[in-house]
Amino acid sequence: MTQAIHSEKPAAGFTRPLLLSPAQDWGGWLLGEAGRAVLLTITGTSVLAVLLIFVFIIRQAWPFFQSQGLTEALGSTKWYPQAQGQAQFGMLALIFGSLYVTAGALVLAVPIGILTAVVLSDIVPFRVRQAVKPIIEILAAIPSVAYGFFAVLVLAPLMQKHLGLSTGTNALNSAVMLAIMAIPTIVSVAEDSLWAVGRELREASYACGATRAETLLKVVIPAAHNGIIAAVVLGMMRAIGETMLVWMASGNACQIPSPWWDLTQSVRTMTATIAGEMGETPKGSTHYHALFAVGLMLLTFSLVLNLATEYLLHRAKRSSGGHA
Amino acid sequence: MNVPLRQSADKVFTALALLSVVLVAAALVGILLPMMWRGGSAVVFRGTVEFRRMQLEQFNRGDSAAVRAEVEEAAKIRQRAFEILDGFAAGLDTSELETKVKQLHREFGVQIANRDIPQAQATELRKLSKELRDGLLSALEAGSKDQALSHLDEVLSHAGDGRLKGTLASTYFDLARKYHNTLTTVDLNRRGEYAESLKQVMEAMKNLFGPPSGERLPAVTMEQYGATRWDQATQHLDRLLWAETWAGSGEGRTLAKSRVPREEQFAGTELAELFPYVRNNIQAMLRPQWTFYWRYFTDDSMSGHYFGGVGPEVLGTLLVTVLAIAFALPVGVVAAAYLVECARDSLATRVLRMCVNTLAGVPSIVFGLFGLAFFVIYLLPKLGLREGSSILAGALTLALLVLPVIIRASEEAIRTVPRAYKEASMALGASRFRCFVTVTLPAAAPGILTGLILSMSRAAGETAPILFTAAVAMGPVPTSLSQPTRTLSYSSYDMAVGDKMAMLAPHNQFGMVMTLVAIVLLLNIVAIMLRGRMSKKLRGQ
Repeated sequence: MTQAIHSEKPAAGFTRPLLLSPAQDWGGWLLGEAGRAVLLTITGTSVLAVLLIFVFIIRQAWPFFQSQGLTEALGSTKWYPQAQGQAQFGMLALIFGSLYVTAGALVLAVPIGILTAVVLSDIVPFRVRQAVKPIIEILAAIPSVAYGFFAVLVLAPLMQKHLGLSTGTNALNSAVMLAIMAIPTIVSVAEDSLWAVGRELREASYACGATRAETLLKVVIPAAHNGIIAAVVLGMMRAIGETMLVWMASGNACQIPSPWWDLTQSVRTMTATIAGEMGETPKGSTHYHALFAVGLMLLTFSLVLNLATEYLLHRAKRSSGGHA
Repeated sequence: MNVPLRQSADKVFTALALLSVVLVAAALVGILLPMMWRGGSAVVFRGTVEFRRMQLEQFNRGDSAAVRAEVEEAAKIRQRAFEILDGFAAGLDTSELETKVKQLHREFGVQIANRDIPQAQATELRKLSKELRDGLLSALEAGSKDQALSHLDEVLSHAGDGRLKGTLASTYFDLARKYHNTLTTVDLNRRGEYAESLKQVMEAMKNLFGPPSGERLPAVTMEQYGATRWDQATQHLDRLLWAETWAGSGEGRTLAKSRVPREEQFAGTELAELFPYVRNNIQAMLRPQWTFYWRYFTDDSMSGHYFGGVGPEVLGTLLVTVLAIAFALPVGVVAAAYLVECARDSLATRVLRMCVNTLAGVPSIVFGLFGLAFFVIYLLPKLGLREGSSILAGALTLALLVLPVIIRASEEAIRTVPRAYKEASMALGASRFRCFVTVTLPAAAPGILTGLILSMSRAAGETAPILFTAAVAMGPVPTSLSQPTRTLSYSSYDMAVGDKMAMLAPHNQFGMVMTLVAIVLLLNIVAIMLRGRMSKKLRGQ
């Protein structure tokens, strides 16, 4: 070793390329490539999972579409899967129920979520922000069944008592709880995008004499709009795919409320229908396939929303340039 | 716009924004507090002597001699209450008295037949017994007090009859005296009202103290014990001391609830004594003590979820969760490593990323459907396992659910390992594989661990994916992975909505969800602390 350092010969090791060519070290090369292939295969599991999910849900839903047709499913509000000989599978009321509670939740969650994100990114000092973030995280971590439990055993009796309702499990109850569940998602994504807007825009706005509210409402939030819309869509996804809470808290009456704005009536969502009825359905019956069809619709919804968020987040990243 | 207006608008905006943060924090506290508080009372509460007796008899716990002594002590004081109750009930319930009298007549007949006395005397006794029986029965059936009393006097006039000495017939006179006593204190016209209220009193007594000692034990475990908890006891005591009646306050108006003390209701009767007696001695009768029932987390439940704990549910949740993580972790870490280390921004990576995102967005109930269609019905039976929900199917389904969480967290962790680490190890001649395993992975381990803990908490709380793949509401503790199991999440649902028995034990209802939330919170707090330490380290402190 010492001899090599003191030798007068030119350092041949430094002049040569660092990586060995396949011919020089075929064993190592083979190992590397094989390793890569194995890694790719294992990584492919998630691709495989997505494919399998689609294949199996579609396969089980297909007999339903074949025998009933899409028009009946989407054109009727009559969901009577157990009726003797007269089973009807109109999914309109279920789809409406899902969208209804989701919309109700968003009306509450979007302003609160965005305002909270604004507080975290622009108003409070860094230390407070570090203290509030865990609260948001814990709110996101509480299992949905615990939210449902709270909705049924604490919130529902309170509503029944103080609002004079006939039942505490209704669209309002589930909308409020869904809002609480969607807020963490909205806050974290919106906060990231507000953060990414960068100091320059804010400082320019302040330099022009704008107040903080004006800066935020007219400059920062418009600049971060892609990310904020993505946050709302993600919150929507969380609300629309939520099962346990709506199953427990929405009352599960398969109807479109009339008048439509009456939130105190019971509704039933797609997710709750699957959760509630799959257990009692004989395998292979039309009802069984119909539930898979409902699942397929949910899957399609979430896929579309997912692609939308990816597009939006992609644009947000591009428009904010180097700050993302 | 003028400046003061703009400034106040700014202040209003800030106030609104801060208000929303306060609302979010209030929601967290408002949701967690009632669940943890009421759930906590399943573990820490004032247990009565009934609780200690239950623990001794059902789980063989506690100091047997001490508990027995305590039970004796309490029973002594309870004795008097049951005596009052029985005495009153016997007088009031004429149908029971009637059967008693008829039975007595039959037994006396047998006694006469077995005795060695002349035929004529026996006939005479039989006749007398019949006379007494009829006298008593007509007293019991009599509509008015005077009539009944005259019948009783007639019966009692035979009390001195020497022929009846030392025979069963003396019981006739006991019954007659007792009923005489009842008649003089009880208003016969209010008998119906008394009977109704008495039923509630007896129910409350049974709920408070269990079946009186000496009586045959009921078959259901839940009915063998009185109030095991002091909070329960005070509720039953309230029902014992107060009668609730619903009275109409006028045409078309809702019924109003009114509470009348039972002492007043039964004023003048011998039962009136019972209420002050129980009220003054309730502490001595039940002997409440603060109890820390930590075995709640390991005990199996009994009588629905009325007694016992959440042991099997905790075990099931841990089994399913750990197994799911065991499936998902290797795949997730390898996928993250590939995404960071090997793949450049190629089509393959883009497809991969999109699939990970799609997987993360799939609604949990759809995972449940997929688990049912693929694992339960298709894959596992092909592998020779039993068709039907099983821990294995549930764990595999949950593994898919947490896979994107693990991939994202690991990717983030691997990406934040400083380049210098990698370059240093490469410069020392390590191959890329060696560099990753010996340098990058250990440096990224805390981040991966954080992701792992968070995905564990997610898997433990999810219910929808295991609804059709692994969970049952009731059932034995599983002995193999191909059996379904109870889990905290599903049982929380079941106890809140499905299980009527659970409504009788709200502390256990809340205890179930408290255990679940506690596990999830604990995991999250550990993760948050771990991350805090990590970011400190990265900042070089």
